[in-house]
Amino acid sequence: MKNVMGLVFANIYDSSLGQLTNKRTQASLPYGGRYRQIDFTLSNLSNAGIRHIDIVTQYNFQSLMNHIGSGEEWDLKLEVGGLEFITPYSMGQSENFRGKLEAIAAASEAYLSRGKEEYIILADAAVICAIDLAEVIEAHIASGKDVTVVVKSGIANGSKQLDLAVRLDQDGEIADMAVDYAAPENYLASMGMFIMRKDLLLRSAAACVSRNRYRFEREFILQDWLDRLISVNAFEFDNVALFNESTEEYFRNNLAIIRRVVRHSLYRDGLTIYTKVRDQIPSYYGEGSQIDDCIVADGCVLLGAASNSVFFRGVKLSNGASVRSCVVMANCEIGIGAQLEYCILDKDVKINAGVKLIGTMEHPVILNRGDVV
Amino acid sequence: MKFPKKRCVAMLLAGGQGSRLLVLTQNTAKPAVPFGGKYRIIDFPLSNCVNSGIDTVGILTQYQPLELNEYIGNGQPWGLNRSHGGVQVLPPYAQSEKSEWYKGTANAIYQNMAFIERYDPDNVLILSGDHIYRMDYAKMIRYHEEHDSDVTIAVRQVPLEEASRFGIMNTNPDGSIYEFEEKPKVPKSNNASMGIYVFKWSILKKFLTEDENDPGSDNDFGKNVIPAILHAGHKMFAYAFEGYWKDVGTISSLWEANMDLLGTSPEFNLYGDGNAPIFARNYALPASYIDTGSKNTNCLIAEGCEIYGLVKHSVVSTGCRMGRNAVVEDSVIMPNTVIEEGVIVRNAIVGEGCILRRGAVVGGSFQPDEQRQIAVIGKDHVIEVNQVVKPGEVI
Repeated sequence: MKNVMGLVFANIYDSSLGQLTNKRTQASLPYGGRYRQIDFTLSNLSNAGIRHIDIVTQYNFQSLMNHIGSGEEWDLKLEVGGLEFITPYSMGQSENFRGKLEAIAAASEAYLSRGKEEYIILADAAVICAIDLAEVIEAHIASGKDVTVVVKSGIANGSKQLDLAVRLDQDGEIADMAVDYAAPENYLASMGMFIMRKDLLLRSAAACVSRNRYRFEREFILQDWLDRLISVNAFEFDNVALFNESTEEYFRNNLAIIRRVVRHSLYRDGLTIYTKVRDQIPSYYGEGSQIDDCIVADGCVLLGAASNSVFFRGVKLSNGASVRSCVVMANCEIGIGAQLEYCILDKDVKINAGVKLIGTMEHPVILNRGDVV
Repeated sequence: MKFPKKRCVAMLLAGGQGSRLLVLTQNTAKPAVPFGGKYRIIDFPLSNCVNSGIDTVGILTQYQPLELNEYIGNGQPWGLNRSHGGVQVLPPYAQSEKSEWYKGTANAIYQNMAFIERYDPDNVLILSGDHIYRMDYAKMIRYHEEHDSDVTIAVRQVPLEEASRFGIMNTNPDGSIYEFEEKPKVPKSNNASMGIYVFKWSILKKFLTEDENDPGSDNDFGKNVIPAILHAGHKMFAYAFEGYWKDVGTISSLWEANMDLLGTSPEFNLYGDGNAPIFARNYALPASYIDTGSKNTNCLIAEGCEIYGLVKHSVVSTGCRMGRNAVVEDSVIMPNTVIEEGVIVRNAIVGEGCILRRGAVVGGSFQPDEQRQIAVIGKDHVIEVNQVVKPGEVI
């Protein structure tokens, strides 16, 4: 897929993820015991043979850059193409991009128009899935349409606000399209992935921005579709897609990985998810430990009890501690006899002996990075 | 163009056929044999090099080099992908006049003198590729330099009754070696050579060349080169090493070394004090899944596993799958092996990529006073439904 480049937006839902994104981009949110959310996006692009990816990020990007480095793990450390970061500062712009279109227009000359690729895939790190993008690209070209949006059924429920939702007619053609809309169940939700010719994108972004239009879905896709300036094709993704757009969704979807059907959909042969490698030793399960229905990364020392929980790397679970339905990020320490239920422990949290913290599925207790309780 | 000289170049002898590891080394060079859930034996000396600040390592290999080559790659996992130096696998190659296999450990280094010469080092560190230990070679090199030693040999104390199985260094009170005895019947001391040598490069070069020109020599460090240097009256010191060290050249020692990783204060702590990590090539695998009801105790389980069964006092390596009601006890399961429902594995080493089908039984239990016999299954084997692999059997 030398003819396609990727453009990834790292900060899409930062504001709705509260304290979890205080010091990181949404893209660098930990997921599944050993990943960051962007690992799925980058791996999907890389697995489709895409070797030129630009990442647009605006703030809090230190942890993201640290995680991605040269892009070596995703086979993106290359002589030609490879990985580039686009920040407002690299554009000589002192203010943040107001929307994707502004970022695209600003990066057009210095970054996006330089490569020889004919097509571009836009994606963000809000939706976790393992998708064969080569198949999507083929379908896009076969459709003859200007733009393909990847959509998913079963997400629209009448209450979840969707960035972009479409309703298809019997022939699979888009009959209706809406933005920022709590669409009813017969709509399909956009997964934030779009494919189009790069020249169309750059031309449209420039035209939109010159008229003070900067919101990608509303002011380009929807507007130009309504004005019949572009034709849009919907590609329906039929596997597991997890939308992590709020803290509650993030929590639920982190625990979802414990379910076999979700796990086996996200980790499939040929669609390997790559991530930054760390040299941790295998996890140790102590005499008398009771670990049930959990995801466990390397480097943990588990001496207590846990169920329905996700343990990232290097977690220490002491004797007599009990953890239920929690997401425990890297290098947390849980003291003797502590009891945790429905909690998100950000990295490096220390829970002292005997502490009891109980949240709910809807409102998990969230501890910030480095907190000591 | 001349590169900056290196203080020390390490040469890792990975050539042994490892025939005592039986089926485990049938298609795998001994240093590439998996260890400790996610490592290969060679990760230990390689990581020691990196943690000791040595950035130039030659790996000498001649048996089954394919897998080892692939594993080492460009050395990136160990931080050994350097513009000058780094890690290189050095198989025997055809030279203009002759082409030959490595005749012995000394000959292997002799054939690669040009590699060492490129870095013009002060010292050359000779290592073995089949030991599990954590050691700061920098300390040994400092000792070597402080004593202005020509050759320094790392030694460890072994029980006197076992000393006749080792190369024994007899030393003066200042640590200098006055005598070297290879497997003495009546040992005078218990300073056993660990097969780790620091040579002044000038001395090594001279004696390797002389050794090569001696048609009666076996071209072996322990047998020929070390005694020759000693007889010539050069300064030779013993460097005492304390700490865990295990030769994993046999099935039972390989099994024991794996078991030594277990417990809350294990014999050998893979994590160490956190400052000298053991590096390994990591593969992109998800975190492991541990199912309801699997009461795993006193075990190591690496990433990429799906465990529905029971693991007790064992090491389960990356990418293994284990079905319901399966039991693994006192065993080592190497990477990417599938253990189906109801399989019982006890006192066994199961090689990489095996499939143990439903109801198979591998190995057995032993009373404390019984001689433990380890059942071994070689790489990529399939054990059929309900097949029985007897205790100590090798497949």
